[in-house]
Amino acid sequence: MSDAIDQAAGLTAEDALYQTRRLRPEFVDGAEQCRQSVLRPADSQGLSTELRLALALRMALLNEDSALASDYRNQLNQLAPSAGLLALATGSDDLQEPLATLARHTDMVTLHPHQACEQHIRLLEQAGFTHPQIVALSELIAFVNFQTRVASGLRLLRSV
Amino acid sequence: MIPSVNLKPLHWHPYIQPVSLADATPAQRDAMQVTPSNKTVSEYVRTLVLDPESYVARTLLFNAIMYVEGGLNRADRELGALGASLVNGCKYCAVVHARRHVQLSENDNVVSALYFQREALLSPRDSAIYQFARRLSVTPSQATAEDIAGLRAVGMDDAEIIDLIHAIAIFGWANRLMHVLGHADTQK
Repeated sequence: MSDAIDQAAGLTAEDALYQTRRLRPEFVDGAEQCRQSVLRPADSQGLSTELRLALALRMALLNEDSALASDYRNQLNQLAPSAGLLALATGSDDLQEPLATLARHTDMVTLHPHQACEQHIRLLEQAGFTHPQIVALSELIAFVNFQTRVASGLRLLRSV
Repeated sequence: MIPSVNLKPLHWHPYIQPVSLADATPAQRDAMQVTPSNKTVSEYVRTLVLDPESYVARTLLFNAIMYVEGGLNRADRELGALGASLVNGCKYCAVVHARRHVQLSENDNVVSALYFQREALLSPRDSAIYQFARRLSVTPSQATAEDIAGLRAVGMDDAEIIDLIHAIAIFGWANRLMHVLGHADTQK
């Protein structure tokens, strides 16, 4: 069955690379389990799927991954997001708290992870995020940056 | 010849309070797969298990990518992990995976060349892997079809390149946890 990474990489069951990817079922199934765990976990920790999808779209855009951005945009639109979440999703910096702090953090960790320091965690706390939420958000941010690299690598491999 | 780099193991310290084993919820306890008699679960595990579902899913995927049998040899996976960790600025992961590369390849030529910034000394295969790891790790990715052609030119097939892509990508993930949620130094 075709999954989010196949769709992002433009792979269909007829592609040799689709079959080669299935030589590693642990990677295929594992990535899908991870995707569920950061976007639609059983315990949301008080972070809605709309918020999670909005952040994922923002990061897909920072990674210039139009296929993944399109996937996240479609999923987000199905949930009729608020104007604030749509602004977050589409890369705006004109946001209210706590989304403004969350957007700055997400952009920094996505674009310049080497810059991260303790102060950034304290800013998330000051914006009202709990420690379980900070961990859940960190996993989400890190997952999307994993997924964009797998998709990007597979697209290149398919192209040559 | 270049000198051998001496990389001492680092210790990781979280910026937030880890779960204590005594206070762990049933879900956290299951995720850590610990019994009350186990007192040696790392601070890293006890921090990430604050979100048990993503902790379990990621740990299974990470172990598969880095340790699964067959395909790309393990030293090459470690070199991909090291390239990503150096770009992403995660000193802790870089040292851990540099040391694993030394163990698996049974010499420190590659790691010493990288830490002394003498990349020109890398073999064509190591250079192709390392350059691809660096370029795929930047946001947005700077990797190109030429990088893939370079990997093929040193004899890698598609299955091995898929393994390498995952080893690099999973450190796009791990680095963004370790370097964001804590810091590393030589103090226990």
